[in-house]
Amino acid sequence: MSSDPVPTKRELRERRRAERLAAEHADAAAVARRARTLRLLMAAGVAALVVAVAAIASSSGGKPAPRAATADLFRGIPERNGVLGDRAAPLTVTEYVDLQCPVCAATARDTLPALVRDYVRTGKVELEARTLHFIGPDSERAARVAAGAARQGRLWPFLEAFYAAQGPENSGYVTDEFLRRVAAAAGVDADAALATANGAAAQQRLDRASADARRLGIDATPAFTVARGDGAPHVLASGAHDARSLAAALDAELRR
Amino acid sequence: MSRLRAASAVVALAGAAIAAYLTVVHYSGGTPVCAVAHGCATVQQSRYAELGGAPVALLGLAGYVAILLSLAREDERARTATAFLALAGFGFSAWLTYVEVARLDAICSWCVGSAICMTLLAALSITRLLGAPPSGPRA
Repeated sequence: MSSDPVPTKRELRERRRAERLAAEHADAAAVARRARTLRLLMAAGVAALVVAVAAIASSSGGKPAPRAATADLFRGIPERNGVLGDRAAPLTVTEYVDLQCPVCAATARDTLPALVRDYVRTGKVELEARTLHFIGPDSERAARVAAGAARQGRLWPFLEAFYAAQGPENSGYVTDEFLRRVAAAAGVDADAALATANGAAAQQRLDRASADARRLGIDATPAFTVARGDGAPHVLASGAHDARSLAAALDAELRR
Repeated sequence: MSRLRAASAVVALAGAAIAAYLTVVHYSGGTPVCAVAHGCATVQQSRYAELGGAPVALLGLAGYVAILLSLAREDERARTATAFLALAGFGFSAWLTYVEVARLDAICSWCVGSAICMTLLAALSITRLLGAPPSGPRA
């Protein structure tokens, strides 16, 4: 028969000391855990605040709405269904464009102001725009909303605002949000224009533009056609043209 | 170096590489190579691509660099700083992912990659902060 040896006083003292140290460790660990959790919660709170401020700034700021390069160009000139100027003008010039076409944007910037100032404002020419969509899906989306802008008598300002914000071809940049910003910059009711874009009227406008371009042999943009009165149109200029050469061609047409 | 710290550094480096690529593309005026048709260009050209005039990609790069710097030290303050930065990055990535899906209707695979990095960093940094050994009782 055996029995546990009775611990000595020294052993008892060491055991109690070990238990006290273990308890102190446990207490310290618990305190440290609480302190870390508190720090983590504070960090999460500050992070949430920072994110909220950034999200608000991101929603309300960002890139400014595109501005039309020639915002005042069309001021005071009547526009009806995409046709700009005096109905009684002897010549009707039609510009065929693709909104994604960079040459169209350059023409709008460099050539159009003189054309509008010298021929449309003076009542010599009424100017019509027709939007083609041969470059890609972004062109079609843009052309459809342009049809909505034409319905509001704001096609030309819409074209200008679009060119001012034009992105890389077929990169998918023509989103509803992009179109809304362009519409806002052009003074177009974006909701109404987007609603029109999905309807039969926009489809008819696109179909008519494509059919007329095909019939006239237009295979590049921008292309300008000219017609006298109710006469048949013919191609006046195709591709890049400066204001002077276009003016010379128009003057020749007016002298006929 | 602890495993959590090393893993965090690897993930932060991956995130920094993504952010650096998107920053270079932003300033060069190009379009990111994207697995989802048009998604990256749409996101990059949206108004959400900039914050206070600075490209969001550049802000992301700064965030990843700050996380890497906070990982250089192994103490309580550094662990808390890493957790704060990772949580802020995670929150902002979540907001941008919401914007992509709900407002832009476009997904940028690079942005999703960065959001995954920030999510991993948040999880790693919280685990590292809460799981660190106590500094011990002072004798």
